[in-house]
Amino acid sequence: MDMLINPTVVELSRLQFALTALYHFLFVPLTLGLTFILATMETVYVVTGKQIYKEMTQFWGKLFAINFALGVATGLTMEFEFGTNWSMYSHFVGDIFGTPLAIEGLMAFFMESTFVGVMFFGWDRMSPKAHLVVTYLVALGSNLSALWILIANGFMQDPRGGTFDPNTMRMQFTSFVGLIFNPDAQAKFVHTSIAGFVTGSMFVMAVSAYYLLTKKRRDIALRSFRLAAIFGVISTVGVITLGDALGYIDAHAQPTKLAAMEAIWETNPHTVSASWNLIAFPSRTEQKNVFEIGIPYVLTPLLTHSEDTVIPGIKNLEQDAKPHIENGIKAMIALKAYNADHNDTAALATFKQYEKDMGYGFLAKEFAPDQDLAKVNASNLPSVLDKTAKATIPNVWVEFWAFRLMVAAGFFMLVLFAFAAYYSLKNEIEKHPLFLKIALWSVPLPWIACEFGWITAENGRQPWTVYGWLPTFVSASSHSVSYMIFSLIGFVLLYSTFIAAELYLMFKYARLGPQESHHHGEEPAAGGGMAGKPAFAKSSMNRS
Amino acid sequence: MKGLLTFITGFVILAFALFLAVITGDYGPWYFAWLVGTTMIVLISASGAAMFDRQDEELNQKGISSR
Repeated sequence: MDMLINPTVVELSRLQFALTALYHFLFVPLTLGLTFILATMETVYVVTGKQIYKEMTQFWGKLFAINFALGVATGLTMEFEFGTNWSMYSHFVGDIFGTPLAIEGLMAFFMESTFVGVMFFGWDRMSPKAHLVVTYLVALGSNLSALWILIANGFMQDPRGGTFDPNTMRMQFTSFVGLIFNPDAQAKFVHTSIAGFVTGSMFVMAVSAYYLLTKKRRDIALRSFRLAAIFGVISTVGVITLGDALGYIDAHAQPTKLAAMEAIWETNPHTVSASWNLIAFPSRTEQKNVFEIGIPYVLTPLLTHSEDTVIPGIKNLEQDAKPHIENGIKAMIALKAYNADHNDTAALATFKQYEKDMGYGFLAKEFAPDQDLAKVNASNLPSVLDKTAKATIPNVWVEFWAFRLMVAAGFFMLVLFAFAAYYSLKNEIEKHPLFLKIALWSVPLPWIACEFGWITAENGRQPWTVYGWLPTFVSASSHSVSYMIFSLIGFVLLYSTFIAAELYLMFKYARLGPQESHHHGEEPAAGGGMAGKPAFAKSSMNRS
Repeated sequence: MKGLLTFITGFVILAFALFLAVITGDYGPWYFAWLVGTTMIVLISASGAAMFDRQDEELNQKGISSR
């Protein structure tokens, strides 16, 4: 811990993780949502016996398979990155953070991966009802996978269920229940999972709109459009509701994130009339918004669900952090003394007194002379406090705009799905070609919203990897800059290949579309017309 | 015998669902919301699809449209 930390290595480690996470999340939401949409289609098939719903399930299942195969590959590398690039972080919180990750692998991922094979290749090997159960298990497995990952992320956002042990210098488990029922993890899981539902709905709706515009398999396209539009409109309402809940939870757990997200520099005591910034150009150096358009009377009820809760501004939060930083420095110096001599009970007592602020001491390390807190004295303390206090605030510009772009995309999709459901329920969708074109070209929106959502969540947590306990600056491994650049280039090249392959296959099979079939009537027997062949083999078999 | 097994299976599923509802309702309200919400989304969307076929049949009977 006394080795000098190279800030360039930390920034490169952050960049690498951000890129791999954002790449990975291009695949995840479609998996989360499309699995439940497939299960819904298959439910209609099993209940009504109409063959066309089986065709729909198999066709969309083929596109799901392409996404699933590439998505898994990008997810695995991230788990290794915790060990290779974030070894201090893994040492510090591995006992807690590793548990949900292990459960994710052993329970959810194995379940999902096993049943996904049965889902693709089991159409003629089991009854329709049994196959439907398998499809639901795939959907449940993929979402359970997200659950455990988001429980791990919830601990980073609002650490619960663990405590720091000065003897081992690690955080240790105190409550598994506290970890899994963390309010941040709960809201984030539902927000993320349902964002996946929105992504799946938009994907199915947009591709169906393309088929309707090109007059390709209208029977499948109209039904898929209807189902996706209804799935999407309810899911989008859910995403927005949970986004609000997550903001409310974060307002208590991470006030710095909230202040940055809304670009609030000053604390406004007039809570009722406080303005919510619709547009702002925040300036970190001037500590104000150089331009802003605000809507009065909206901020306090929107963020706090009350009229009289004061929302602290960034300047206040920086000042509030200073006593914590001072105490944190004392805690870290005492901890170092205790580690040198475990019989030093006075050092242990001092550490225990300031323990809850130890994270701020870690944070001050970056700004201490030679990164050594022991060298902080009366003359340089104000400077260290100032710099560290400013560092407690995330990048306001990124946070403000990432959040707004996510919200704008979300509300646009809500309107789009509402109109789509309305036109579809009235059987008028084909009378609105312009709307179909808008639906088609809106296909990237859920991905854009998801990516900006993650940027909001993770940039807003900065400067911490574990909020209030472990700063990002001390979490990275001690690699060389050249090693980081080399591995970064490797990842960019590899993942770009994956993306290119995904887009090529998706466009190819989506354009090809479901092939004509002769059996659109009632299901003649268990298994159905294409029974015996996996979804991949179906397109060529179905040609009339 | 088959009826009894079906009854027992249904009872076990019901008991598990109630147990899950009590636990998630007490400790994880948003998890509970996900369980109920996802079920609702699936059922309403499936109903929407089934409704499409009903509308389609009505239109076919009137000779207005066929898909």
